Amino acid sequence: MSAGEPVLTIRDLSVDYLTGSGAVHAVDSVSLTLHRGEILGLAGESGSGKSTLANAVARLLKPPAVVTSGEVLYHRDGPDAEPVDVLRMGKNDLRRFRWKELSVVFQSAMNSLNPVTTVGSQVADVLRAHERTLSTQDRQDRTVELLRRVGISADRAKSYPHELSGGMRQRAAIAIALALNPEIIVMDEPTTALDVVVQRDILREIRALREEYGFAVVFITHDLSLLLSMADWIAVMYAGRLVEHGAARAVHDQPRHPYTLGLLRSFPKLRGPREELLGIPGTPPDLRDLPPGCPFHPRCRFAVDACSSEAPVLTEVQGGQWAACLAHGGSYGPVPVELSGRSR
Amino acid sequence: MTDEVILAAEGVTKHFAASRRRRFGVGKRPPVRAVEDVSLALTAGRITAMVGESGCGKSTVARLLARIYPPTSGRILLRGKEVTSPRDYRRDVQMVFQDPFASLNPFHKVYYHLARPLKLHGHARTKAELDEQVAALLERVSLTPVEQFMHKLPHELSGGQRQRVAIARALAVRPVALIADEPVSMLDVSIRLGVLRLLEQLAREENLALLYITHDIASARYFADDILVMYAGQLIERGPSERVTDDPAHPYTKLLLSAAPDPDQVDDEPDDTTDHGEPPSLISPPSGCRFHPRCPVAMPECSTTAPLTLTVAPDHRTACHLYDPATVADQAAR
Repeated sequence: MSAGEPVLTIRDLSVDYLTGSGAVHAVDSVSLTLHRGEILGLAGESGSGKSTLANAVARLLKPPAVVTSGEVLYHRDGPDAEPVDVLRMGKNDLRRFRWKELSVVFQSAMNSLNPVTTVGSQVADVLRAHERTLSTQDRQDRTVELLRRVGISADRAKSYPHELSGGMRQRAAIAIALALNPEIIVMDEPTTALDVVVQRDILREIRALREEYGFAVVFITHDLSLLLSMADWIAVMYAGRLVEHGAARAVHDQPRHPYTLGLLRSFPKLRGPREELLGIPGTPPDLRDLPPGCPFHPRCRFAVDACSSEAPVLTEVQGGQWAACLAHGGSYGPVPVELSGRSR
Repeated sequence: MTDEVILAAEGVTKHFAASRRRRFGVGKRPPVRAVEDVSLALTAGRITAMVGESGCGKSTVARLLARIYPPTSGRILLRGKEVTSPRDYRRDVQMVFQDPFASLNPFHKVYYHLARPLKLHGHARTKAELDEQVAALLERVSLTPVEQFMHKLPHELSGGQRQRVAIARALAVRPVALIADEPVSMLDVSIRLGVLRLLEQLAREENLALLYITHDIASARYFADDILVMYAGQLIERGPSERVTDDPAHPYTKLLLSAAPDPDQVDDEPDDTTDHGEPPSLISPPSGCRFHPRCPVAMPECSTTAPLTLTVAPDHRTACHLYDPATVADQAAR
């Protein structure tokens, strides 16, 4: 396995929800690349399309959601392996792809774990379904080993989900995702329901496991502050579109899109002097009735006249950092220093 | 701004009975000790934040202060007196709940939600007065144009707008104390700040005593004058907010602060354990200090004796054996 190569390429993906009052463009021509062993953070508010995007990649969308365009290429490991389009996989290919190549950790482990069987048997279930040649003894050993690896002691394998705390359940869900050593793990708000101390423990666990197993992570969250210390790359979504993506540090230090800047300056900091918080005025738009031009312009403090008519295109503003903004695209340089929030 | 204490709790304890029935005929189940001996005071025009993890009893304290539950023991004093009539109490103390999707009646318009407390508490008698006061309330929480919002149903509003309606409803009775239980945790990041600023402005301008309950210690530092830290049903540290966050005394507060995501600081502490344990059961809490099983600096007495609340600096108090001169001397002698 070689790091740095793309493992998943999303090209021009659009997803609509067909509703009685017209199509809702939940994801609008998003292109992204996930590299091997990398943590890609996907940030956005509720309704920004981040979970829809993740579900599309895992082929978990159900009607009324429809993929209207685009492709999701999965690059198999190996020198001459051809990339395959996940969206066009048949039933059997999909069965082999899911969990072996790509697994998912959902937000609420209470809902993703089966309440009437023990966590140990749920880990064993994955092995039983996908690795049929494994003997019972080996399967048991692997189960215990997996649970131990995520910080659950062997005697807890016989516990039911309701006997475990929220953090333990999320650890069990991660163990299930890890069971077949996949290349990609999609984590949809894995720590949102947890307390901060437990959250940090889980995040560290994920990073330690990544070091060990070398999988790539798509980490979805509404909390941008979490990603800055966790992810290698950050992609920010707004109203179904990708508005900015780049290396985590670069996005934090020099946000190029006013929405990213607003998000970064919406949460107070724990250390240092109290600085003024900018916040973002207004409310997120209704996806059925998006404002013309840039969907963010009614809330944007840098909006110019063109913003209400011309839709911005995602352009590279600086080595590896992309933003979709007319006012701060390439020629406008970085966001003004007095607003960019670098007070340290 | 006055320093008048509006609302105070004195040694308030709340135990919830787990079950009233006998269990297999072998006696009653033990109660859940949700809140244990909590004393606090809210001052007019000051924002007090209460911080803690889920299950630490902070919402129970809010509900005790709003008199939604009666305390098992202890007293709740409004301007130094115990108020017996719930109606009089509600006129002075109001609460804003966490979930604006659940706290507004989906069948009624915004106007109804705001007009009802005005009518019930006799602040408005005629239709004209009512219209005027509802408009004024919406104006105060910046839901403008007022005429438009007045006739909307909750489902037509966004989460932030709903929370503003809930705040306006709490303000309708002209309270002197407001208890906000996680008012922004259900809202999107980009609109949280606006709602918090509104609460801050109300506390300052209307001289409200505001209790802001949150799990987010960074926002507590930013908006509150004082911070109270709760752990497993007990208050373990209190003090001016900058003091508590910049120089925490209790090991739990330190753990809470180090765990909060901070973009300016890469998580590269030498302590990279991935398991800091979880809060204890409140049915049979640990003996002595309730934090001792998770405490990195626990001493032998921590598991046997409960620590007293000690003063570490002016206005800054904590319940930890580390600051007890007797314990410290004893440790040094060993």
